[in-house]
Amino acid sequence: MSERASGKSSHFRLTGLVARREYLRTVRRRGYIIGTLLLPLGIAVLMGISVFFSTDGFSDGGGEASGAIVIVNASGVPINEFDTELSSLRSLSEADAAAQLEAGDISDYYRLPEDFRTSGQVTRIETSSGLNVSRQIGQESSEALLRYVIRDALLQEAGVAPEDAARILQGVTITAITTEGSQVSGADIAAAIVLPMVFAFIFMISIFMTSGYLLQSVTEEKENRVVEILLSSIPATPLMGGKIIGLGGAGLTQVAVWVLSALVAIPLLSSQVPDLGPIKLDPTMLLLGLIYFVLGYLAFGAIFAAIGAIAPGNREAQQYSGFVGFAAAVPFIVFSAFITDLHSPLVLALALFPLTTPTAMLLVLGLSEGVPWTLVGASLVSLGLFTLLATWASARIFRATVLLFGVRPSLRQLTDAIRSPH
Amino acid sequence: MASSAVDVRNVWKRYGDTDVVIDLSFDVQPGEVLGFLGPNGSGKTTTMRMILDIVRPARGEIEVFGGPPGVEHQDRVGYLPEDRGLYRDVKIIDTLTYFGALRGLSQSAARDKAMALLTEMELADAAEKKAAELSRGMHQKAQLIATILNDPDLLIIDEPFQGLDPVNADMLKGVVRERRDRGAAVIMSTHDMGDAQMLCDRILLIDEGRRLLYGTVEQVRDAFSDGAVQVSGQDIPDSAQTLECVTDVHAVDGAMRYLIRDGATPQDLFRELAAGGAQVDQFAVQAPSLDEIFIRTVAGDPRAEAVR
Repeated sequence: MSERASGKSSHFRLTGLVARREYLRTVRRRGYIIGTLLLPLGIAVLMGISVFFSTDGFSDGGGEASGAIVIVNASGVPINEFDTELSSLRSLSEADAAAQLEAGDISDYYRLPEDFRTSGQVTRIETSSGLNVSRQIGQESSEALLRYVIRDALLQEAGVAPEDAARILQGVTITAITTEGSQVSGADIAAAIVLPMVFAFIFMISIFMTSGYLLQSVTEEKENRVVEILLSSIPATPLMGGKIIGLGGAGLTQVAVWVLSALVAIPLLSSQVPDLGPIKLDPTMLLLGLIYFVLGYLAFGAIFAAIGAIAPGNREAQQYSGFVGFAAAVPFIVFSAFITDLHSPLVLALALFPLTTPTAMLLVLGLSEGVPWTLVGASLVSLGLFTLLATWASARIFRATVLLFGVRPSLRQLTDAIRSPH
Repeated sequence: MASSAVDVRNVWKRYGDTDVVIDLSFDVQPGEVLGFLGPNGSGKTTTMRMILDIVRPARGEIEVFGGPPGVEHQDRVGYLPEDRGLYRDVKIIDTLTYFGALRGLSQSAARDKAMALLTEMELADAAEKKAAELSRGMHQKAQLIATILNDPDLLIIDEPFQGLDPVNADMLKGVVRERRDRGAAVIMSTHDMGDAQMLCDRILLIDEGRRLLYGTVEQVRDAFSDGAVQVSGQDIPDSAQTLECVTDVHAVDGAMRYLIRDGATPQDLFRELAAGGAQVDQFAVQAPSLDEIFIRTVAGDPRAEAVR
């Protein structure tokens, strides 16, 4: 006899062996690496773009037009020239303006015609019609300033008091506050809707990617005719257990990379995009998110493993799993119900129906003020019981059908498999 | 029965409404090859899977090395299933290491043993290749290596020669003999009676889940012997009238084929021929091949009762 591992092979050792192999094999797959890095890379690219557009590099080639406005004023509106550090406005004759444009001293000028008071039309004259994004953005800020200056001139001409003129020009600001006196901004509300949706989506994608690995692993071993060799070495329970742990670990690694990316990116994004408002990640929500991820993965993983055992081939397995996967996407399809009323019967039903629980509850958690512990408890019980039932039934279906090569078992065989212990 | 490698007692297995194994009993001793014969769907593979604990019997008992089948004995068992394969996109050495580790070897021992066997079977160059890159013959060798990687004391091989090229079939026969000579018990299911006759010490024939024949190859063939003896030489009688122990005689391929009367033996015939002055060159007791026995048994030949 050759050297054997110390002690008799135990379920624990076998489960560990399968888990280790499945984990390492999955995290080395090209698809997994790309999938895992795609989100952080996407965030990095977005931040790079944001930084690029907000720095000096952006204004290269269009700087002279961003603050220097030249007008040809035939309208009679009393527009005063000014020259500050940030911007300037000069009023020239048509001939002078055209000459400076021709000479390249200015990139454009604005003509206010005689009938401006009635038509409101201003024409911009420039040298070329070609696309120049940076110049166009510079022109937008110049034109916003020009509109302000023209309105201000008209108000002064009409004798409006400077404070009233300023109020008319600057508009009215409405601020929302809670009864406790804290501010509620539009950005908060946007973040409160967008963030939960994004997180729920990320978790849902993770659940399906991880369950997909499990499906792929089972169908691959069935298609390659390896499964019977495996089952002669290791009972079905530690084989499935090892796969679930190993592939779940790969899924958690992916989620960890994504969550860490989000933790790094969100403060940076908040400082880059002030309109986004203050974004915070609640640790309780993250923890509950992980619990829903694990239970959701176990529930869908059990179903997908059974599908892998039943399906004669990989293509059929993908089709069957697509139907199940659709259920998890339902909360996104009826997302408006979550925004409108978190206590509506539809939301409660989706939160408690096990196949929709993970995504529905991730949305509920994100959109609720505080954690709705009763619903969390009820949904965890529902999902937990379903996961146990699905795992139990899946193990029986797996054992009874995984060795049926190229044959789709009948419904009767499946029910017999669930009823029969062996 | 504690010394048996496998002991199957009154085992039943049912799928849906169908009994696929019915009250089956047999044993396999260390150092013997048991030929497991039967038509397709007769219950051979199901029985093997029960011995391997892949499925469990509805009734009856199975013992492997004196205990219930299961993970405790898995590291002493090698299995080559009828439907077999390898991970297509994984290196052969990695697949073999994994299989060896599942059979109780440490990772390093499994890798070393796999490499040694690959070298022995002139497959060392394929170690770092993926299964998808190998020829069919190389696949078969690698599957065989996976089966014997853990030096099994019990080798269970299901239709092992199906799809094998002649070189690999010969190699497998060598492996079976070598394992038996080293004291391993071998259970081999096959359709090929020639292989069974050549390799097996005992045979078990089942049909529709029931045991029809069970015994050594000689016992089974003797039981089905119809008392015919073929004799060639000089002055061999061509009539039954001159021989008391014979009921019928006819010429076959230049020899005489005598059918011996009930109660008489081939030795009685030999004595009568010698007494009559015949010069015997060849004297062969005619026994049917396992192929014939298989067909006759399935057709309900009552002689099967003697070796059931």
